[in-house]
Amino acid sequence: MPVMNSRPALRWLVPAAAVAVVVGGGAAVGTLAATAEPSLPPRTAQQLLVDLQTARLDGLSGTVVQSADLGLPNLPSLAGGGSGTADITSLLTDTNQLRVWYSGPDKTRVALMGTLGETDVIRNGKDLWLWSSKENKAVHRTISDADTKAHPLPSDLPMTPQEAADRALAAVDPTTEVTVGRSATIAGRDAYELVLAPRDKASLVGEVRIAIDAAEHVPLRLEVFPKGSDQTAFQIAFTQVDFARPDDAQFRFNPPPGAQVDESTGLPEAAKPDTAPKTPEDAGFTTVGEGWTTVAVVEGGEDGEAGQEGDQAAQVLSMLTPVSGAWGSGHLLSGRLFSVLLSDDGTVYAGLVAPERLYEVALEHK
Amino acid sequence: MSAVEVAARPATGGVGVPFRFLRSELSLIARRRRNQAGLAVLAAVPIVIAIAVKVASPTSAGGGEGAPQFLSSISGNGLFVALAALALEIQLFLPIAVAALAGDAVAGEANVGTLRYLLTVPVHRTRLLAVKYAGIVAGAFIATATVAGTGLVAGLVLFGGGDVTLLSGTTIGMGEGLLRLLAICLYLTACLAALGAVGLFVSTLTEQPMGATIAIVMVNMLSWILGVIPQIDWLHPYLLTHWWENFGDLLRDPVAWDPVRHGLLSAAAYIVIFLSAAWARFGARDVTS
Repeated sequence: MPVMNSRPALRWLVPAAAVAVVVGGGAAVGTLAATAEPSLPPRTAQQLLVDLQTARLDGLSGTVVQSADLGLPNLPSLAGGGSGTADITSLLTDTNQLRVWYSGPDKTRVALMGTLGETDVIRNGKDLWLWSSKENKAVHRTISDADTKAHPLPSDLPMTPQEAADRALAAVDPTTEVTVGRSATIAGRDAYELVLAPRDKASLVGEVRIAIDAAEHVPLRLEVFPKGSDQTAFQIAFTQVDFARPDDAQFRFNPPPGAQVDESTGLPEAAKPDTAPKTPEDAGFTTVGEGWTTVAVVEGGEDGEAGQEGDQAAQVLSMLTPVSGAWGSGHLLSGRLFSVLLSDDGTVYAGLVAPERLYEVALEHK
Repeated sequence: MSAVEVAARPATGGVGVPFRFLRSELSLIARRRRNQAGLAVLAAVPIVIAIAVKVASPTSAGGGEGAPQFLSSISGNGLFVALAALALEIQLFLPIAVAALAGDAVAGEANVGTLRYLLTVPVHRTRLLAVKYAGIVAGAFIATATVAGTGLVAGLVLFGGGDVTLLSGTTIGMGEGLLRLLAICLYLTACLAALGAVGLFVSTLTEQPMGATIAIVMVNMLSWILGVIPQIDWLHPYLLTHWWENFGDLLRDPVAWDPVRHGLLSAAAYIVIFLSAAWARFGARDVTS
């Protein structure tokens, strides 16, 4: 190229062009995917609810990205792992990649991908496995028929999907405004968007957006926006999805040789709710208000939190903001979506509301 | 014609000459004492890992918090010595090796005054750059393969082979395990080739090979450091080193190709940009030493 030999500065046009192509190309792909709004035949919110009900999902496999930005302080027990550890608790604090396989309710597998690690939850028929590559450990549980029967079907099942959708809409309507949002492209598929917004403006939740696949009627993305913010506090979305039924081999799990295998009788740790398995009344659990601004009140004063757990609790407590007022004093955990107030007498107030509402409830409750 | 095109087909033109040039470059790299010593250090790490795990009591074989990856799996299968060594060395040791080669490539020749002799023989500067880059990439592969190979041999001797447990908990045969290890070596070579392209560009900027090497290592470290600051996570996918540890995705069942493809695309983008920058800089520069 003689021009470039006589004018060497011109050679720099080549790397400049390379940068432009790479950056521009990447940006173009990104914006195209983000802004392309597919033109879909209009559907009402009610029709979308019917779609959700009638969706018959044979099988599915795909990649899911989940991210949470709850605006919480960095608690030691929550943030301990970081994103690379494939630890279940990291779901609360970070961006995570999951792979999912689904082939009917009794054949599911979710793999939480960490850097050089993986945590799998696999359900295959009666077998439930929890596998952690980092610990080289598998927890196995056999699901008995009794467990399945423990969740009896509600007796007054709606007869038609239409009826179900009507009921669902009727149930949410007093508290929630249901509208249809802009359609979107998610994981390369066209989707409708259902927008649920609390009517009660005291709630910290601005709106919940659910994107529903136009063809398969399966939710592809769920976003929760705090009030007055266009940044999601919680998001879970498919980045890649395939509606073919996955191979049965995906759900077969044999603990690898050399791995520690725990036969568990209770629910595996991951599936166990944090609160003690008692009836709500026993645990001193009551609610104040209804709908989106419900405040949960849990009477405390249990002696069980002694020892190591108590130390950990004290450590967590010291990270929280101390607050006091006419209602008494305590510690406050305040995020973008919810607030939790731990009063010094051991009562816990929690709800999708601003701290001020919790103070009011605490004052009434006193 | 850009440097990238040349790098893609370094054997065009005269049949014998480019190969002879590349061969002489490779044997030059291989004969340097510092390169041999560096390779020995790289190979020492997996041996140390294997012996340390073997000597430690079997009960303490589990990986505690912050322990290197794959350590807990080593006692089950020697193949994991190679993986643990690669996971350890990809952050610093392997990049240093590539940085040293890249620093030598142009700045080293300029420093000892051999660059202008190289250019007096009828070799086009573009071809010279292409051969230098091919040498760096070959060096990166040899370094990676040395770590993996030494780890494999040390592991097999001390712990034996057998079925390989993947991250997903499924087991595959030893043959497929070896195939995946090879794929990981190739993937890491592609990652290091991106660093090598940055290095070649830095190397054309200076006549001090030491300065070039340090600069390349610092680019690498900076990229790793930026990669662990959560406040700038929007930047992370564009970092040079962001996709490197995704070699673990080749150890899942089924293989998670998406991150691997992203990693290769990211490496290709870095290679295209910095090779063309190196070409622009080197072609325009007055070589005086």
